[in-house]
Amino acid sequence: MNKASLQLRDGSQTNLKVSPRRGHFCLVLRTVPILGIVFLFFLSGCKQEPRVYIKHFKNKDYQLRVDGRPYIVKGICYSPIPSGKNHEYDWWSDPRKPWLVDGKLMQEMGINTIRLYQAHEDMEKVKTVVGDLYEKYGIRTILGSWLGFWEYPCPFYGDKKFRERVKQEVVDMVNSLKGEPGILLWVLGNENNYSCLGHVNPWSSEEIDREPDPQKQKALRAEVYYSFVNEIAEELHRIDPNHPVALGNGELVGLEYANKFAQKVDLVACIIYRGRTFGNLFRSLRATFDKPVLISEFGADCYDAYAKKEDQNMQAFFLESQWRQIYENLAGNKRGMGNCLGGTMFEWTDEWWKHNPDNPAGWSEHDTASNWTNGSYYYDIKVEGNKNMNEEWFGIVALSPGRAGELDIRSPRKAYYVIREFWKKPDLNNKKKKVKTK
Amino acid sequence: MKKLVAILAVLALAIPVLASAQTDTTQKEFVVYSNKNARNNHYIPSGWMGDTGDIKMNDQSADNPKDGATAIQFIYSAKKTQGQGWAGVYWQNPANNWGNKKGGFDLTGMDKLTFWARGAKGGEVLQKVMVGGIKGTYPDTATVEVGPIELTENWKQYTVNLAGLDLSYINGGFGWATTSDLNPDGATFYIDDIKFEVDPTLKPEGKKQEAMPFYIYSDRSTPRNHFIPSGWMGDYGDIKYDGASKEDPYLGDSCIKIIYNGQRAQGSGWVGIFWQNPANNWGTVDAGFDLSKATKLTFWARGAKGGERIEEFKVGGIMGEFSDSDSVVIGPVLLDKEWKQYSIDLKGKDMSYIIGGFCWAANVDNNPEGATFYLDEIKFE
Repeated sequence: MNKASLQLRDGSQTNLKVSPRRGHFCLVLRTVPILGIVFLFFLSGCKQEPRVYIKHFKNKDYQLRVDGRPYIVKGICYSPIPSGKNHEYDWWSDPRKPWLVDGKLMQEMGINTIRLYQAHEDMEKVKTVVGDLYEKYGIRTILGSWLGFWEYPCPFYGDKKFRERVKQEVVDMVNSLKGEPGILLWVLGNENNYSCLGHVNPWSSEEIDREPDPQKQKALRAEVYYSFVNEIAEELHRIDPNHPVALGNGELVGLEYANKFAQKVDLVACIIYRGRTFGNLFRSLRATFDKPVLISEFGADCYDAYAKKEDQNMQAFFLESQWRQIYENLAGNKRGMGNCLGGTMFEWTDEWWKHNPDNPAGWSEHDTASNWTNGSYYYDIKVEGNKNMNEEWFGIVALSPGRAGELDIRSPRKAYYVIREFWKKPDLNNKKKKVKTK
Repeated sequence: MKKLVAILAVLALAIPVLASAQTDTTQKEFVVYSNKNARNNHYIPSGWMGDTGDIKMNDQSADNPKDGATAIQFIYSAKKTQGQGWAGVYWQNPANNWGNKKGGFDLTGMDKLTFWARGAKGGEVLQKVMVGGIKGTYPDTATVEVGPIELTENWKQYTVNLAGLDLSYINGGFGWATTSDLNPDGATFYIDDIKFEVDPTLKPEGKKQEAMPFYIYSDRSTPRNHFIPSGWMGDYGDIKYDGASKEDPYLGDSCIKIIYNGQRAQGSGWVGIFWQNPANNWGTVDAGFDLSKATKLTFWARGAKGGERIEEFKVGGIMGEFSDSDSVVIGPVLLDKEWKQYSIDLKGKDMSYIIGGFCWAANVDNNPEGATFYLDEIKFE
């Protein structure tokens, strides 16, 4: 058997088996280069990391692309804290791997993305979770960073050393995980913008303290914070050109400053609780901070605080209405603004620790007390004190304690099925009957 | 025989009552109230509200009636007898039905309500007139409010467009309400010939874009004011509100004075007031105004001492079944002792549906001894 070698485009060589029959040899010689190129293209395609980017259309619509194909984020916020534990529980290290049970249920529903607010400090564990979900169920991960927001004492965005340390942590995280094919994009911060108003985790600096006008103080804080996010985004683009970087933001508060100081982010990931609609959010963004938007936290609880009973219909009604608006504002839909990339609803499973995080006894109780009020979830707003939002009841999957040593039992709620059907056949007709409640 | 006569008599009385529960769809009009004891009156002016002690009613006033022998005369004294600062009357069926019993009428097919009204002097202001809107176990199927209306000395007919509305159950056939701020010296006015009518030419009324300027507060007794400062929030017991302060108004004869004592009456540590349409609408009522033409909201403010800190001034932002279409906030603001104009930029905002026209909020942390401040000339431009 004779052998011939063929120089390929990339400079490498490959050996060909040569047929003793000349005609065949010529055919092979003509065909092999083409096949080789195709083969190499395929090969290189296999090796290449999935590239995620946002396509900007001429009509100013925005669309997320993954491996060159449109990708609607049909996502869920994921924090699988079991009953009896609180937010400090290390579910990443759970040998029962709850994400495998959840991933299967998610896949059956049609979820293609989870959102994690913060990575575990052990990047190998993160790789395991991200890899398992992607390889077994095709579910990608949006990974965030709190940007030090929940450290104690308060975040010091005015302090250069603090900023440098937080930035390095994010850079390290991205360097560790950017090669994971299951990563979809990065989110910087969550509702950190509220700290600029002093509403939560207030912080300052000498320069800010010298300013007597509180409005100017707010503007100075916003400049510091959004410039910091911008700086990180710029660095992440340098080290990882394959994944977009989002600015996490509570509502649209402060985005007029982001427009000035955070242009390097690729999109904004907004936390929105406005009941059955997002109002004019999509239009308003066009005017204030014209970036693609991911609704990175939204949803509804399923406990009627007024009737004092679970109401799965109420949750399903709000969620379906919210998803309808998200779809109306995807690229190419003339009814909307074309600037939405999808959403990650809040949340997968209930979290039983939330009503009173400091009381371990309460972590094993599914508390029905309400923590806050929001009139746009109007079915139960008449409850005494108007506290109608039940923080422990936002899961689209209910938990009930499993047998000793076993995971909590997962029971999908009505919203799980309603949204599953909506995704299968998105019906944007808003004139459907309201879901009957109570 | 006597028994038969008695049964017939009962039936004779009962049948018209039963029949009245549904309107004859072929009739062109359905009278709410024409003259006292008229056989075609279907509603009774029984639902007195607010400062009921401020109202006197003469339902057989012969003083220049519009039609027939009499009209209804109302004398509103504005003395705040019950401390409310407002008063009103609903025409109900049956009398005093606040939605607790089945009554009312199916007025499907009617397109409008008309009534005639005049003031004793001219210039009297009705804050609003209402059709439907009574809640309770048996709620009206529609709620329509129109106003404010400045009455003239001569009779004038007013029309409330009801086209396209669900009128299948209307217990509150008609109503009026007004305030002592709008009529500080009281008001005497007359109403006559209130009726529902068929008018196939009428189209359902969409929200019209309001012309600018559109006042929230100009002066205490002007019909140009819109929205009601009814949405008291947080430590509402810490607030005293005077919508007719004479203490150095910026313009006109009055301004708003707000005293916040910082006592944490409800334990919240903060307070605020929303100006709403209609009063107390936290997004539960489909109402409000289309202020799409507005590019800014301006107002004048000053502190009693200077240095009072208002955390935010806001337009919109009420969230409910019928949420405001947008929300714009400025603040915190440190007030000067002198009047200063502030502006909330509305360019690029969706002002097409606003039920919360204006709002302020302050807290005790930044006003440990409370705050007294003044507002004037609040308007969309």
